[in-house]
Amino acid sequence: MLDREDWLPLARKLDWEFSYTTEQQVFPEVISGHPWLPQSSWQDWEESFKTSYREYVQNQHEKDMAVYAVRDAVGRLENVQSLATPWINGLKIHAAALPLAEFTGTIGNLRGARFGRDSAWRAMACFGALDEFRHTQIPLLLMHELVRWNSQFDWAHKFYHTNNWFAIAARHFFDELTLGQNAIEFHIATNVILETGFTNLQFVGLASLAHEAGDYLFEKMVTSIQTDEARHAQIGHPVLTLVMKHDPDYAQYLIDKWFWRNWHLFSILTGVSMDYLTARDQRSGSFKEFMDEWIVDQFFRTLDEFGLKKPWYWDIFLDELDTYHHMIYSTAYTYRSTLWFDFVMPSPSDRKWLRQKYPKYWNDMDAVWERIGERWKAVGPGPDNERLVLGSALPAFCELCQLPLSAGTPHNNTANVLAHEGNDFIFCSQPCRWIFLREPERYANHKGLVKRVLSGEAPTDFKALLTYFSLTPDTWGKDVYAGDYDWLQRGGAATP
Amino acid sequence: MPLPLYGFMEGDTIGLLIVADEQESVRSLAGKLRDAAGLRVDGSCHTDVVYRGIVLDPDSTLAQADFKPLQRFDLRRNHGLSESRYSR
Repeated sequence: MLDREDWLPLARKLDWEFSYTTEQQVFPEVISGHPWLPQSSWQDWEESFKTSYREYVQNQHEKDMAVYAVRDAVGRLENVQSLATPWINGLKIHAAALPLAEFTGTIGNLRGARFGRDSAWRAMACFGALDEFRHTQIPLLLMHELVRWNSQFDWAHKFYHTNNWFAIAARHFFDELTLGQNAIEFHIATNVILETGFTNLQFVGLASLAHEAGDYLFEKMVTSIQTDEARHAQIGHPVLTLVMKHDPDYAQYLIDKWFWRNWHLFSILTGVSMDYLTARDQRSGSFKEFMDEWIVDQFFRTLDEFGLKKPWYWDIFLDELDTYHHMIYSTAYTYRSTLWFDFVMPSPSDRKWLRQKYPKYWNDMDAVWERIGERWKAVGPGPDNERLVLGSALPAFCELCQLPLSAGTPHNNTANVLAHEGNDFIFCSQPCRWIFLREPERYANHKGLVKRVLSGEAPTDFKALLTYFSLTPDTWGKDVYAGDYDWLQRGGAATP
Repeated sequence: MPLPLYGFMEGDTIGLLIVADEQESVRSLAGKLRDAAGLRVDGSCHTDVVYRGIVLDPDSTLAQADFKPLQRFDLRRNHGLSESRYSR
């Protein structure tokens, strides 16, 4: 019997020359990706960590058993119920956003497993597809237990099947990133940007907060997922190396585009959880500090490794680090009934902490919370008064990222309108506008929420819109305390 | 004729869809945005409607001000300048 070292290199590299068809027909550029190169250009493609199917299955089995052991020990309903209520609501965000997004990763990896240009790449992508399927099943399994207690956890499976505004944005992102993407762009965008970078926010930063919050099940789940990500993310780097060699401008474009797209989505997913839905004494750092440590540094290492430049919008990004998720959270708080999780107002001590961490624009943000607090004080706390502390005009959304027009600062919202081939499009920021203009044929026909409303496809009446968002009085988001904050009712305490 | 516009009130954290009418006054449009954003921003000192970089006369209609659908307008705080800036 051959030793592993003898048969694995042979098994990984099983490419051959086609005799009855052409390489272009087997690997069309439209689905294999740009630049199209003959297989001989890819034959030195190497993954840094090599594994066999037998080893893969053994490792995954052991990891699954470890997750189940933690579930059996600390994953009972009463364990979750004992967590802080704001944290539980942060959990609902991730429970909804994670599982089916991971499933789209299965599809993307399967595209790489068929249309990747080297057999070793295809084999690794096959493992990647199995990984992503695991990442779909584990959170669905663990969250399913919680549905009988709190129906908002039903969104773990439901979210991507709804017309909720945030689901429209998340679908727009993952449809492009994973479901409808060619193999080269998928692996660069997903492996190099998302998995080497941004998922660190979830799987490292948020995992450490989960530990502090006592949510050991979530911690175990995401760290187990991260071990898979670290393996299959290595596919993207040798792909990027070759694209950089043959078309460096295109490589730079993919990096710039996908860093920005990831940034907007993850600043909401993770920024809100870290800075607002984690108890202050359980925060080991701010979202911005996590971004600096886990994303910006890592991203610079990637740029250096490949000889890439900083994205042209870097100063805009650095400014948004101080503002974007704060703009989104304060807006979303006033539209909480349009979402499937509950919100909490930042207390005076929270706001003091936020001012220390985000001094540049916090005065402007604080004025908004002050105003909302004044409304609660005027109407008084209680579930019956929730509707009096809600916005009712339809928010507007960016026609690239599909997220609210909340970029810039309260005094300088950066939304901008573009006339393109007889139609007007609005974007939250210059980078979103730039991405649209690079590939307008890809984006122009997407119908965002505002255009659905104006065309009659979605209702104009706000209450009917909540039904369109698949929300009911039981499931739509509320203030966790229904405005009943001691610090608010003491009078004049809204200002920290 | 209904005129959907994107309204941005200074100090707010979101742009809002405001559906107006071409024959409506600029002042009325400002009032709609002020009401819509009022939960987050005190609108009492927001008096200037800015469209395509121009401060508009509050008494002009949206048609006179040449508003087009799905364009941005801003409601800015008045910093003490007089209405003589307006031109029709």
